[in-house]
Amino acid sequence: MGTVHARSLEPLPMQGPDLGVQPDDIEAPRAEPEATQEVLENRDVVVQRVHVDGLGRTKEDFLTYEIKEVFRAKSLIDVMKRSHEARQKLLRLGIFRKVNVVIDTSRGEGALPNGLEVTFHVTELRRVTGSYHTTVGNNEGNMVLGVKLPNLCGRAERLCLQFSFGSRETSYGISLFKPQPGNIQRSLSLNAYKVSGQFPWSSLRETDRGASAELTFPVWKTSQSLKFESVWREVSCLSKTAAFAVRQESGHSLKSALSHSMVLDSRSSTILPKSGALLRVQQELAGFSAGDVSFLKENVELELNKSLIWDTVLSLSLWGGLLLPIGDTTTSICDRFYLGGPTSVRGFSRNSMGPQSGGDYLGGEAFWAGGLHLFSPLPFAHRKRGFMDLFRTHFFLNAGNLCNLNYGEGPTAHLQRLAECVRWSYGLGLVLRLGNIARLELNYCVPMGVQSGDRICDGVQFGAGIRFL
Amino acid sequence: MVVAVPLLNVRESHGLHLRVSSMSLAAEAFVSQMAAAEPWPETAALYQPLKDEQILLSDCASSLAVQAYLRMCGLPVQVVCKANAEFMSPSGKIPFIHVGNQVVSELGPIVQFTKAKGHSLSDGLDDLQRAEMKAYMELVNNRLLTAELYIQWCDDATAAEISRPRYSSPYAWPLCSLLAYQKQWEVRRKMAAIGWGDKSLEQVYEEVSQCCQALSQRLGTQPFFFNKQPTELDALVFGHLFTILTTRLTSTDLAERVKSYSNLLSFCRRIETSYFDGKSS
Repeated sequence: MGTVHARSLEPLPMQGPDLGVQPDDIEAPRAEPEATQEVLENRDVVVQRVHVDGLGRTKEDFLTYEIKEVFRAKSLIDVMKRSHEARQKLLRLGIFRKVNVVIDTSRGEGALPNGLEVTFHVTELRRVTGSYHTTVGNNEGNMVLGVKLPNLCGRAERLCLQFSFGSRETSYGISLFKPQPGNIQRSLSLNAYKVSGQFPWSSLRETDRGASAELTFPVWKTSQSLKFESVWREVSCLSKTAAFAVRQESGHSLKSALSHSMVLDSRSSTILPKSGALLRVQQELAGFSAGDVSFLKENVELELNKSLIWDTVLSLSLWGGLLLPIGDTTTSICDRFYLGGPTSVRGFSRNSMGPQSGGDYLGGEAFWAGGLHLFSPLPFAHRKRGFMDLFRTHFFLNAGNLCNLNYGEGPTAHLQRLAECVRWSYGLGLVLRLGNIARLELNYCVPMGVQSGDRICDGVQFGAGIRFL
Repeated sequence: MVVAVPLLNVRESHGLHLRVSSMSLAAEAFVSQMAAAEPWPETAALYQPLKDEQILLSDCASSLAVQAYLRMCGLPVQVVCKANAEFMSPSGKIPFIHVGNQVVSELGPIVQFTKAKGHSLSDGLDDLQRAEMKAYMELVNNRLLTAELYIQWCDDATAAEISRPRYSSPYAWPLCSLLAYQKQWEVRRKMAAIGWGDKSLEQVYEEVSQCCQALSQRLGTQPFFFNKQPTELDALVFGHLFTILTTRLTSTDLAERVKSYSNLLSFCRRIETSYFDGKSS
């Protein structure tokens, strides 16, 4: 928390230190000589007033939750600690650009001799921020325009608009985010969007227009979210040579679904964690109230990490999913699972595993996939925090299976079906970490257990993404 | 635009501009090459929207024309009804046939496709007759089919009572309304583009009458348009007229206009009994 100097017992105005420091840099307060230490720690103080200066459109009652803990401080060190925590909470709201804390003695009417005033000097974010960038994909370019309005009505609401104009298709989205005052981990988010995507592995083009409402809240150590979504999907063939099985899926459908997801994340970081585990369980129930499709979909993701000797990390991940049509409907190609690619079972082409017809992949109703990785830092690179520290080498073993289930058979028949014809692959490669969001991989893969119809990518495979098996 | 209506005298007009709607030459050549390779399979299927709840007058007419043509050629085809048939079709139009690995939609390309397989109804015609046949087919497409589309989608009463509910029946709310209004907007825009946007219902019925008069005059007392053998023109005319006569609309005016030409009525009946065993699909 930095050092505080006190030279006398008289109530001199004390300028608190700028608390803009990182947790890593926090050192324990140095041991002062006995007399001064007594002043700092044992002297009782009372926080009489807490000001927040620099508020424009932010509503004051919204901030009381974040700063009320400061009033409970009993000693000077306590005041500084609580002020620091309050500052972190204010920054986390996402509505201030800067927050400075000033601790001063009380002045004026009713000032006690041991009274303190804490003032937070805040600078609000601008009303509108914009961003513009271009992306280049497979034979098409996109111009993406983003507009963000933070703190719309004064209580940390956020409105984001995004437009993407492409050489082939346009997409747009608008989302409104509102946290609950007093508990920013609870929030409500409303979205409306139109997104187009092209899926060459299935020779189809899908356009989704939808709206959703999502409620996020923490329960114990997990983060839960409940979402209601309505999507109008339009599927069409990408080329005249698409397989007839894909052509039969063309058309429009309306999906109206309620989904719930639970995330328990104790990993030390999102990308290349050294320890910890992740458990994500997602359920989706569609068609209970309206819509053309009705199904129950389950998706489970588990990741375990353990550090071993010599800075290596052993990582195990398991994915599984099940799509159960309700009633006598058949599942749609938009809802089924796909497997394969540099971010899932390596050694296979992207989403090119499992049921297919004429070279176009139709997806499957049940899948499982597992990966075992051994990450180690680059050999001969011993400097921490250098550029080389972003790289890792890894040895991997991936396996998975994707198939359709005939729900008339029993569960043992299903397990047997998923267990036979398992595809797997092994290899080694190089991983580059990009911030805390994404990673790039360059692997040499050897696919095994290849079934007829799968498209493989043996040899060197490059992958970039957020979520890897 | 295209053909002088109602009387078409091919012998006298030299500078006759035919805008025959067919595929480009390259596409034609490709289809012929692919098609000629295999014989007509048993599993050929013709796709159209759901018969009882969904299909509309214009689509039913086009589908019946193709079915009649294939029956006249003696090619077996199974009729499959699918709610998304319009979107499955490569050109977006009904009907389309799935033969072997090929998907071909609309009567014109289907006629080319069967010709490449060696089945044709118009081989016996000379060049002049063939040109005349194409001209009359254009007449039917530009007048009868357009009139059917107009009555379905531009006439508010028919659109509200029949077309929109039927078109949107397979879908859940609110998608059903969105799709129906989108289709209506598309068709109205097309009508405005070809100059039918300002026509009144009476004028449209007049167009239908004139077209029927031209057809009736050409048919005369012959069994088929080109004397003894049916051609694709017969299939097309049968498809449209039979559907108009047997479809229930908000008013019977359209059917009445067709019924006033007795030789066309007997022509439809004749084809129905010869090729559809008295009941058409």
